[in-house]
Amino acid sequence: MTRRIDLRRVAQYGVVVVVAVTLNFLLPRLMPGNPLALIAGVDVGMLAPEQRAEIVARVGLDAPMWVQYLRYWGDIFTGDFGFSFRSSRPIVDMILERLPWTLLITGLSLVVSAVVGVLLGALSAWRRGTKGDLSMLSGMISIESLPSFWLGMVLVSLFAVQWGLLPSFGAVTPASDLEGWAHVWDIISHAILPVTALSIVGTPGVYMTMRYSMLETLGEDYIRTARAKGAGERRVLFGHVARNTIAPVITVLAIRLGFAFGGTVIIETVFSYPGLGRLVFEAVAGRDYPVMQAAFLVFTAAILVANLAADLLYPLIDPRSRTS
Amino acid sequence: MTAGTALAGHGSRKDGAAGCGNLLDIENLAVRFELPSETVRAVSGVSLSVAPSETFALVGESGSGKSVSMLSVMGLLPSPPAVVSGSIRLEGREVLGMPGRLLRRFRGRDVAMVFQEPMSSLNPVHRVGRQIGESLRIHRGVTRSEARRQAVRLLDRVGIPSAATRVDDYPHEFSGGMRQRAMIAMALACDPKLLIADEPTTALDVTVQAQIVDLVRELQAEYRLAVVWITHDLGVVAEIADRVAVMYAGRILETGQASDLYRATRHPYTSGLLRSIPRLDRSVTTRLAEIPGAPVRVVSELAACPFDDRCPLAGEGCQDALPELEAVGSEGHRSACIHHHQMGPASSLWPEGTEAGHQDADQQPGDVVVSIRDLQVHFPIIRGMRESRKRAIRAVDGVSLDVVRGKTLGIVGESGCGKTTLGRAMVALVRPTGGTIEINGEPINHRSGRHRKVVQMIFQDPFSAMNPGMRVSDVIAEPLRIHRLADADAIRDRVTELLVQVGLPPDAGTRYPHEFSGGQRQRIAVARALAADPEVVVCDEPVSSLDVSVQAQVINLLADLQARTGMSMVFIAHDLAVVRHVSHDVGVMYLGEIVEKAPRDQLYEDPLHPYTKALLEAVPVPEPDYDTTQRTRLVGDVPSPADPPSGCRFHTRCPVAVEGLCSLVKPALEEVTPGRWVSCHLVNPPAAPSGVSPGPKGSRG
Repeated sequence: MTRRIDLRRVAQYGVVVVVAVTLNFLLPRLMPGNPLALIAGVDVGMLAPEQRAEIVARVGLDAPMWVQYLRYWGDIFTGDFGFSFRSSRPIVDMILERLPWTLLITGLSLVVSAVVGVLLGALSAWRRGTKGDLSMLSGMISIESLPSFWLGMVLVSLFAVQWGLLPSFGAVTPASDLEGWAHVWDIISHAILPVTALSIVGTPGVYMTMRYSMLETLGEDYIRTARAKGAGERRVLFGHVARNTIAPVITVLAIRLGFAFGGTVIIETVFSYPGLGRLVFEAVAGRDYPVMQAAFLVFTAAILVANLAADLLYPLIDPRSRTS
Repeated sequence: MTAGTALAGHGSRKDGAAGCGNLLDIENLAVRFELPSETVRAVSGVSLSVAPSETFALVGESGSGKSVSMLSVMGLLPSPPAVVSGSIRLEGREVLGMPGRLLRRFRGRDVAMVFQEPMSSLNPVHRVGRQIGESLRIHRGVTRSEARRQAVRLLDRVGIPSAATRVDDYPHEFSGGMRQRAMIAMALACDPKLLIADEPTTALDVTVQAQIVDLVRELQAEYRLAVVWITHDLGVVAEIADRVAVMYAGRILETGQASDLYRATRHPYTSGLLRSIPRLDRSVTTRLAEIPGAPVRVVSELAACPFDDRCPLAGEGCQDALPELEAVGSEGHRSACIHHHQMGPASSLWPEGTEAGHQDADQQPGDVVVSIRDLQVHFPIIRGMRESRKRAIRAVDGVSLDVVRGKTLGIVGESGCGKTTLGRAMVALVRPTGGTIEINGEPINHRSGRHRKVVQMIFQDPFSAMNPGMRVSDVIAEPLRIHRLADADAIRDRVTELLVQVGLPPDAGTRYPHEFSGGQRQRIAVARALAADPEVVVCDEPVSSLDVSVQAQVINLLADLQARTGMSMVFIAHDLAVVRHVSHDVGVMYLGEIVEKAPRDQLYEDPLHPYTKALLEAVPVPEPDYDTTQRTRLVGDVPSPADPPSGCRFHTRCPVAVEGLCSLVKPALEEVTPGRWVSCHLVNPPAAPSGVSPGPKGSRG
């Protein structure tokens, strides 16, 4: 019945992190051809031997494997992910520059789809089998089947091109030196369309989980027990249904939060939004391997942290999963 | 939102004469479920009344409408699809059609309900105390701390030890018996006048069932409570009920005083139920009387006697009209059978089958098929990612047994005693951590599972034990294919033969498991087990999930097949009467150990081990006014097999444990008379008087 953090669980996640980092270290070194091309981004064949040796020494490929491995860990802890092939900038700067934008739109849309999905899902389950429930359900299934790039393009063509209400690309108006509230509004107006698109795409999943979980709970024997005690509908709903229903929903939301760090490659590309997703898109298009690797490491870490949070949160909701 | 929106037709009866002085009056109750595919008529034409502080038992098999009738009293049926009509009066007030807001005032305050599954009936995320106090908060508006105080008092009253600390436990921290006690405490919170108990002991062990029955009887006297006890168990009914109604197909077929119903039965169905259960107070018959067929499901309005097609008295007139309850014999005794005056003694109405069951006369010792020596199955307790070597669940802990060819070895014990694990070890579904199992003198091979041609298993739940995507013929043929025992043509013939042998139509093989009833599925499971012609069949609770009238069919089937094929059986069950009926030898298990094993009649007529005695005394006898005062009741629950008590494992619950001996010295399983083994210091006093000295073995660390 302890509520302290389950250290064993945390340790298990630690193991996964080590494996992920090790794989990330080994991948370029195991790939066919010279790792130099992947790590230093140099067209090896074109270089003179002494230039080559100089680069090898600079990126540390001449050291024994285990030294390279330890250095790699050291680099991660000091936030050194190397340099981009294309821009030659430190990758860590590029990621830190993009991350806030990604968090802004994915975070906002996560909140919107969580609130809308949970409320509509609960309403649907409470009125199970009615016309309202069934039309909401079929509506959500239709939305779920919409491709997100198509949705993004429709939004752009309507709100930006057709009616000219909102900007169609970017996170801020380029080359404008807005200050104060005008700057804030500039950011908001640029975020509205991507957030809307992400929210619409994200809602059906939350809705379905919520609806299913609540239907499950409503059918439980203890709900009948509560009614048999004379509990009114409100007490049944908030006292007995809510907490049992929300546990699986929270898990789903936490995992989505993990993916949110990765940004959404498609939506950010459609809206030319300068987030991590777009960074990955650019890196893939330009074969910028170090950037891709660093981005993947960030995604992995974010997903693991979110999963861990869900794991640690669950026992607070469901006492059965508390370890003694 | 509540049931009873359709108060059809019978409103005029509201001001009728009935009901003065009665707590509950139900008149002409009908419940139908309007499902998209069909309308199920769950209850029709049910009238009954319950007087203050009386115990009324509603008896029936699954689907007979007993629970549905009482849920409609509480207004707890989901509507839609339920449509309830008729009249339900509580102390003269009509509750059917009452708006939910008013109905809720009755629920939990005047009428409380206890359900079958105490685990799923408690909210897993709230503390037990809070759930008990909830009705007080709802109906009396007491403060949180007062509700908690009352919860402690109630938990204490229903016999939860150290209630003041357990009140803050969650339901999963309670044992099954304690959960049902907590449910009862919850029901009693507001001093109700009527308690509806829906199969409250069905999910519990027989020892715990006895405790709960005692508790309810006690509380009933104390709180002047009327109880409606819904059950399928005629033994429990005889123990508690003043009056009984027997339901079938949504109708009451017979009702009256308990003594009349048991001793002057006036409906063939009641008589059939009483005849088809194996009983401890009667000598073992070769075969059980069985009611043919299975309970019906009513989808169209009944126009004839619903029991007609299963009834030995069926004849002229049964198909012509729906028989109404009419007075028979003594006051209040009514039967819905037009031929009730033709009812002779139950034995002639429901004769035992003719096929040879056990050959009891044949007493010569056969050879041993399965020989188990010092078997241990310990399950490691997994912590984090590595298993702990030190602590383990000792599910089976040093068991030695022999299964004799052509005979049945019964294994009994409470849940958590290791019965199932022992059975699975024999079929090599779990790997022993110590000891040996030999079949025909050869140790079983865990790698290939080859020996499953020799040993087969029948599981408890025929619904989940069968792949729903396979046709019945494939289910049955699978052992033949695995062991390559026959070619395709021969397999087809063998499957047909097996289907006929277990009493199913030969064309059943083309259908899927879900098209069959529970009893039929268990027959399919038997056919599958027999397909490879095994020498031993391990049956793990093969009839406990079946309806009473179907149980006898399956028990008889197994006995017939044994007589025909000469197979040996291991019959694992918690129902001591069933085990007595089928077994030649019986082993009693407690916490992973055999505490007594003996030939059947010796064990049942003269149990030596206190645990065996207590188990036998806990079994309710289907005979009203049976003297129950002499019984000793087992207290508490089975301790954890991860941490068994020192010395004799039973000493913590034993009524005759000797201080300074039983808790320190472990008794050995010794042969007291030929073939009879007991491990108890009181039966076999320790050899040396100095054996009392506390050795290192006796102390727990």
